[in-house]
Formats: sequence, C-alpha cells, structure tokens
Amino acid sequence: MSFGLPTFPGGFHPPDRKAPSAGCAIAPGPMPERLAVSLAQGLGAPSRPVVAAGDRVLRGQLIAEPGGFVSAALHAPTSGQVQAIGECPHPAGLRANAIYLVPDGADQWAPGTNVPASEDAVAASKPKEIVEKVRAAGLVGMGGAAFPTHVKLSPPAGKAIDTVIVNGCECEPYLTADHRLMLERPADIVKGLRLLVRAVGAARGIIAVEANKPDAHERLLREVRGIEGLACRMVAVKYPQGAEKQLIKALLDREVPSGGLPMDIGALVQNVGTAVAVTEALYFNRPLTERVVTVSGEGLERPANLLCRIGVPYKALLAAQGVRPGARRLVSGGPMMGLAQWTADVPVLKGTSGVLVLSTPPPPDWSACINCGKCVESCPTYLMPNRLSKLGEFRRFEDMAAHHALDCIECGVCTWQCPAKRPIVHWIRQGKNELRLAKLKAEAAKKKAETPEGVLPQ
Amino acid sequence: MDYLRLFFGVIFVTNFVLAQFLGLCPFLGVSRKQSSAMGMGVAVIFVMTLASVVCHLLLRHVLTPLGLEGFLQVSVFILVIAALVQFVEMVIKKSSPGLYMALGIYLPLITTNCAVLGVAALNSANGFADPKQFGAIDGLLRATVQGAGGGVGFMLGMYLMSSIREDMEGAPYPPSLKGFPIAFVITASMALAFLGFSGML
Amino acid sequence: MTGFALLQAVLAASAEAPAGGSGPGPGAVIGWGAGVLGVLGAALGLLLYVASRAFAIKTDPKVDEILAALPGANCGGCGLAGCAAYAETLVKSGGAVNLCGPGGTAAAAKIAAILGVAFDSADRRVSVLACRGTAQFAPAKYEYSGVRDCRAAALVHDGPKACRWGCLGLGTCAAACPFGAISMGADGLAHVAEELCMACSKCVTVCPRSLFRLASEKQTVRVACASHDPGKETNRVCKVGCIACRRCEKSCKFEAIKVVENLAAIDYGKCKNCGACVKVCPRGIIVNWRAARKARKARAADSSPAQEPAEAAS
Repeated sequence: MSFGLPTFPGGFHPPDRKAPSAGCAIAPGPMPERLAVSLAQGLGAPSRPVVAAGDRVLRGQLIAEPGGFVSAALHAPTSGQVQAIGECPHPAGLRANAIYLVPDGADQWAPGTNVPASEDAVAASKPKEIVEKVRAAGLVGMGGAAFPTHVKLSPPAGKAIDTVIVNGCECEPYLTADHRLMLERPADIVKGLRLLVRAVGAARGIIAVEANKPDAHERLLREVRGIEGLACRMVAVKYPQGAEKQLIKALLDREVPSGGLPMDIGALVQNVGTAVAVTEALYFNRPLTERVVTVSGEGLERPANLLCRIGVPYKALLAAQGVRPGARRLVSGGPMMGLAQWTADVPVLKGTSGVLVLSTPPPPDWSACINCGKCVESCPTYLMPNRLSKLGEFRRFEDMAAHHALDCIECGVCTWQCPAKRPIVHWIRQGKNELRLAKLKAEAAKKKAETPEGVLPQ
Repeated sequence: MDYLRLFFGVIFVTNFVLAQFLGLCPFLGVSRKQSSAMGMGVAVIFVMTLASVVCHLLLRHVLTPLGLEGFLQVSVFILVIAALVQFVEMVIKKSSPGLYMALGIYLPLITTNCAVLGVAALNSANGFADPKQFGAIDGLLRATVQGAGGGVGFMLGMYLMSSIREDMEGAPYPPSLKGFPIAFVITASMALAFLGFSGML
Repeated sequence: MTGFALLQAVLAASAEAPAGGSGPGPGAVIGWGAGVLGVLGAALGLLLYVASRAFAIKTDPKVDEILAALPGANCGGCGLAGCAAYAETLVKSGGAVNLCGPGGTAAAAKIAAILGVAFDSADRRVSVLACRGTAQFAPAKYEYSGVRDCRAAALVHDGPKACRWGCLGLGTCAAACPFGAISMGADGLAHVAEELCMACSKCVTVCPRSLFRLASEKQTVRVACASHDPGKETNRVCKVGCIACRRCEKSCKFEAIKVVENLAAIDYGKCKNCGACVKVCPRGIIVNWRAARKARKARAADSSPAQEPAEAAS
C-alpha cells in the first residue's frame, strides 16, 4: 500500500487498531458536573489565572493569561461558576493547579466571541493580525505537545518559512480524531492552512495524509483543487510518520539539524486540529474551548470520537463510554507516545488526542541487551538505542549526550521492537533529565566561581 | 620497501602484545579508559623508538667492536631503557599531570616491561647491528622502524582493548569475572583475531 | 661443570663471536665491560640529573604527607576530585580535616597533626534514611514496571509511591554505595549498615528524594520522615508520616525539636538525645537508634548487618 510514497528512513508498522472508532462520526462529549481546566495545558510556562473562586464566567471568556512568552491564554470551556483554583492531577505528572468550573448548563458565549467575521475582513487581515488573533484565542498545537501556536508562527528574524505542512497523518494506533476531522470539516482545514501560509509568509502549503486514509485524502484533494500554492499529498503508512521532523523529511527531503527546529530549514508543521482551531478563531472569533478526542481501546465498551470541552475529567468519558471488565490501563494519547495514568481524575487538555482503555498485561521483566540491532535499524532519528539503553542502565549520562540522546523524539519504536523488552525510552528520558539537572548544577556551581576552587567547610 | 614491510609486519603480524605477548602489564593495567590508553600508547611509542635507536647505536658502535655484545647487551639495554623511562616520566609529570595521575604506577612499569627490552633484543637478534649483514645507516633505519612499529602496534592493541573494555562496562557478564579475568578473556580473543595476520608479510 | 667453568665457556664463546676472531681476551673483556657500563651509567645519571632540574615541579612536602595519610580510594566523598585534590586543597586553603569517610578518624587525626590543627577524634558520621514508609504503611498509587532505578521511577507521575516524599525502594542508593553499606529490605526501604558506612555521601547525592542525611553517630534521636505535606494529606498517603501535630515540640524541655513547614525538625545543637519526643509521637516517626544499635551489637556475632529493624523506639 505504501510503495513509492514519500517516507522517512526507519520506523515500523504497528497494528492499526483504528477500526473500532474510524467509522464513528464526531459526537458531542459528556458535560460533567465539574470541569478542571488545568493551568499547565502543555509545553511552556503555566498560565496565570485572572479569575477567582466564586466568579461567574461565560464560555470563551479569558480565565488565565499567558505566564511567559512561551505560554498560552486559557478560556472558559463553558459558562458557569469558578468553584476553586487548586491542585489537580495532570496527565503528564506535572504539579499544576487547575481552575475548577461548575457548568450552569446554559453554555452561553461571552460577548464578542462566537461572532462570525466577514470573509473580506479575514481575507484582508495582515500576517501580524492573524498571529495576534491566534494568540488571543489561546491556540496551542493540538497534535499532543501543545506548543503555543502564536510562538511557532513568530519565528525570529532570519528564519523564513517557505512551506507550511498540515499534519493529517495520525500515525498512532487507535486514534481517529484527525481522520474524522478531515472527513467532516475539510473546508475548515484548508481555510486554516491558507491563514497559516499567510501568517508566516510561506510560498506553499501541503496537507499530508497517510495512505490508510484514502477517503480523507480524496476529500481534501477536492478542497485544495484550484487554490494556488496548496497541495494535498499522500504519505506512506508508517509509525512515526506524523512526527514533525520525520514528516518534513518525507515531504521535503530536508533534515532538521541536531538540536535544531523545523524553522531552521524553513518548514512549519501544524496538526489538522490546530488548522481547524485557527479557522474558528479567525472566522468565528471562537477561542479554543473544545477538541475532538478519540476514546477507544479493548477495555472500552463503546469507542467514539467525542468533541470534548477542555477540562472534562477522564472519568466522565469512561462513564459515558463504559469500561469493560478486564481493563487494566488508562492511557492519555496514543499507545506509543502516550502516558499511562494512575487516576481517572485527570482532565482533558488542549493537546489530548486520545483517551485509551487498554487491557494488555504489564510487560514481562526485561533482560540484557542482545545486540540484535533491531532498534538501530528502525530508529527514525539515526540514533543507537541499544547503546543508549546500556549507557542509561549503567548511569553513564555524559556518554548518552555524546550519543545524541537529546535528539531522541521518544517515539517508542525501539522499545516496541526490542526482543529483550528493555524500557529504552525510559532510560533515554532519565538520561535527558539527569543531563538537565547536571547542567543546572554546573551553572549554579559556576555562579559560586568567585570563591576559590574547592573551598571546604571549616 | 623493506622498511614498509618491517613496519607493518611488526604492527600486525608480530604485534608485540597480541602475537608475542610482551608488555601485558601496562596493556591490562591502563586499558580501562581510551584516554589513558592513548596516553600510555604515545609514551610507549616514544620510549620504544628512542630505546631502539640508542640501544642499536650502542650495540653496533660500542659493544660489537669491543666484542662485548654477547654478555653485556642485556645489561646495557636495561640501563638505557630505565634512564629513558625515568626521563619520560619526568616530562609527563611536568607537562600533563592529569595523564601522570591516570597512568600512575604503570608509567615506571614501562621500564620493567618486556616489550621495550624485547624490541631492543629483537633488533639485535635480527642482526641489524651486525656489520656483515647490514650497512650502518641501513641497520639504524631498520632498528628505528622496528622500534616505532612496535610502539604503534602496542598502541593499536591498547586502543582496541580500551574500546572493548569501555563497552564492557555496559555488559552484564558474571561479576566474578570483573576486572582482570574479563580483560584476559578479551585479550585472548583479540590475540586469536590477530592470528589471522600470520603469514601475510 | 662448575660455575666458573661455565663462566669461562660463556666468555670464550662471546669472545669468538666477532668475525675474524679479533676479540680481546677475558681480562680485557671484563675491563672493557666495566668501563662501558661505568661510562654509560655516569652519562645517563648526568642526563637524568639535568632533566630532573629542568622538569622539576614544586610540591609542598605537606601535600605528599597528607596524601600518604589518606586511603587513596579516590571515592570523591570529600566532595573533591580525589585524594590528591583533597590533599592539595587542605594545604592551599585549609578546611575540615575529617571529610574523608574511608579514612575515618585515623586519617583525620593524622592530617590534623600534619597541618598542626586541633581535631576532636570522637565524631564519626554515618548516613541515615529519613523515611519509615514501608510498603505496609505507605501504599503505592500505581503498579510500576520500567527501569529499576529510583531516579527513573520518580519521573513517572512523581514515583509509584502515593507519598511523593518517601523512599521508592528501587535500590539506586544500594547500587551507588561503593562500600556495600546499603541494602534494600523486604519492606521496601533502604537500610544502612552503620558499621560499613564511610559517609562518602554518594547516597545523599543519588537519592531523588534527598532522604539521606549524614549525621554524627552520637545523634541517636532522628526524625524518620521527610514529608512537608499538610497533616491531612500526609495521613491520606502514609500511616507513619509526620502530621505536624506538634506534640514533640511541646514535650521538648530543650526547645530542640520544632515543626517547620509541616515536618518535625531537630536542632542538634540543642538536642540531648533524651528521647522525650520519641515517647509522645503518635505515629512513631521520631526514632531513637540507641536501642537498635545496642541490640545489633549484642547480636553482632551472627546477624548480617543489613537486618536493621525499621521501627526501633527506645
């Protein structure tokens, strides 16, 4: 199916498991009794609340402002009352507060929001205005990492972007949210792409779709037909085709340099969900308050693609879709790069693409590396995961840096392939963390450099 | 051409540490890390070359005319080598204290190590100092080449060994083999591999 | 053949080696031999003398003396790069003489003598774990499978233990201890064998929860908890966590123990090891190791050092 289609070196083919939810049209998600809007929605500094307990808010109203340059605004997902601002478990294990909101059932939009803008006004808006509207709408990357979009759309001087890629690959097993979006809202995706292209002054825009979604590819092809500078291309079905560096390699045959970013080689990648959110923000003045989440897995009764408000606790989703007996694991995101959860109280974030209930047993105990090289063959970033796993096991973290552990995208292909069942990505993550701590320690030690070297306690 | 054959021959075919099993002490003692192994290798090349030259000159121009080479050559060689190593030790201590600390006791052990005496004795056994077999310059050049080649072969062996041993730190072999036992196993495997060169030159 | 005859034969043989048989007789050989060796020795000796002057490095003899007094393990426990670094720093800028764990009080006394400073030799330090949360008292919040390392486990949702301050029990400290003084008990906690501990502080650095403290052997009363969570939260996650009830504070006649940020903390400048706080603590968090140490010394003949009881109260 994928012969001759553009792709990247490495990677592998996990079982799809998309059948249970692929045919489910996007349906409205449950509205629980209380929403927990986490202040740490993704990468970057946590947002700062601008409301207090007891305040009444309307949907789309600003409830938290960016906490730094790399941070995003937060808007009330529905109208209601702020119950409290307190600690809330986070899917990524971060310690962050959340704004607890009790919906009043009216779902009323704030004034100025949900007001359609004229097509002419949008067509005439300048790039800077587009970026500002994106920032005001609190948009972040909806593919998972949730990087603030307005920062991505503002590359520093000297880093011009010539190609915008809209990522419709959705290479993770089980997830079908983007697929449904492409089938049901292709026009909005293309509108969003055109806005993005204009915002960064790119020459062209490409929508990438994996070959296992021919219906989506066809729909989008029809939408881009006749529009200059836009294209819709099919790429090979392989994990992790949807990883941005790998996608750029496949479509443009350019490689992001080690330690660099796509903007260094003139490319910008955004998820289809983000493109739709850009359309909503510019054409309808709707800040980001909801997203499509694939709720699936063998441990779930009724898989679905739900349009959920930000802040819906997973337990509301599980209650709505039914948990089967024998369910063992709750995962946020996809099974490859997603994070297992220990509580269902964690809320849906702007970057939550999936909530999976799996019934796979825990992996067997791992053993020594057998040096088979399967991981090296399939690493999409040209690393040597076997070497990295051994270095991590024996705590040789500086050597891990020398072997480019910091370039690892943590896709999990190596860990899946390993016949010895070694938790390779975990060692790499540990290595990255230890290197970060060592760097902080070195910087702190350098600050004390005015005292003579090796001064001892007296 | 002969010199090239001699040079590569002593590096691969008659490698001092892997084929002739001379100089095992620093080979096993300093080959835990690549950096100290390379440092030791450079020191050994220097000592071996200089020792080869000086010993050859003494043998050819002092001992042989006096007819003393039969019984005095070993004593003279050792005297020269000991002085040379002391000299090298002083130089390293001054110029690179880090390397000095890393080599530790193994630096003066170049003196008692049979590889350096071995190369001097090998030069002598090959007849380089014999006026009947080789001319003065020819013999000197051969001795130098063999000495330098011996050192390079030693460094090659140490570099390979240290690379393997560094990697072994990440390998789950039985703890009872930790340290010298596994080093000997590795050396034996390497020696077997180098056997493949025999008969080539 | 006699030895002398052997020698004669060797000399004769070597005398014949040069072609043309123009070799000197045995007497001349010995004479020339001695001469050559003598001249060579003198020349090389001169060369070495010159070199030793040219490449001389000034070292303070005190550094060498201290280096000789140190064990040479280069463990880095003193906080410097090795024994040589510690010796040089001591001579150059002074400092505490008892930082060498492996050297112990013997090395410290010798160093003090070399440097001419005073030193009280009765103070041995050992590492102590500030946690009593065994698997029984402090349950896990999820089933963990992954890298068997506490620092790696701490990255996953703050570790598998419900209490985010407590000992994770995966043995990173035991692996890091160069003296084998730490072992992981069946209860899921690290146990320090005080006799083997050299206070090199590797466990202190490596524990992701910073649960180890280097304490003087004389400080037998210790708080075995590190949780700064408010009492209600601590109670939820651990049966033996400090709930900041302040009974210990009220019981202390010397004002040595205070509850700071929801955790009892002892000021060892004031603590007299009386054990009053140990008696009143409702959770048994404050522990007096004196009784445990006595019991261990009594069993010293056959027990393994690792079996240190976790709940020892006087």
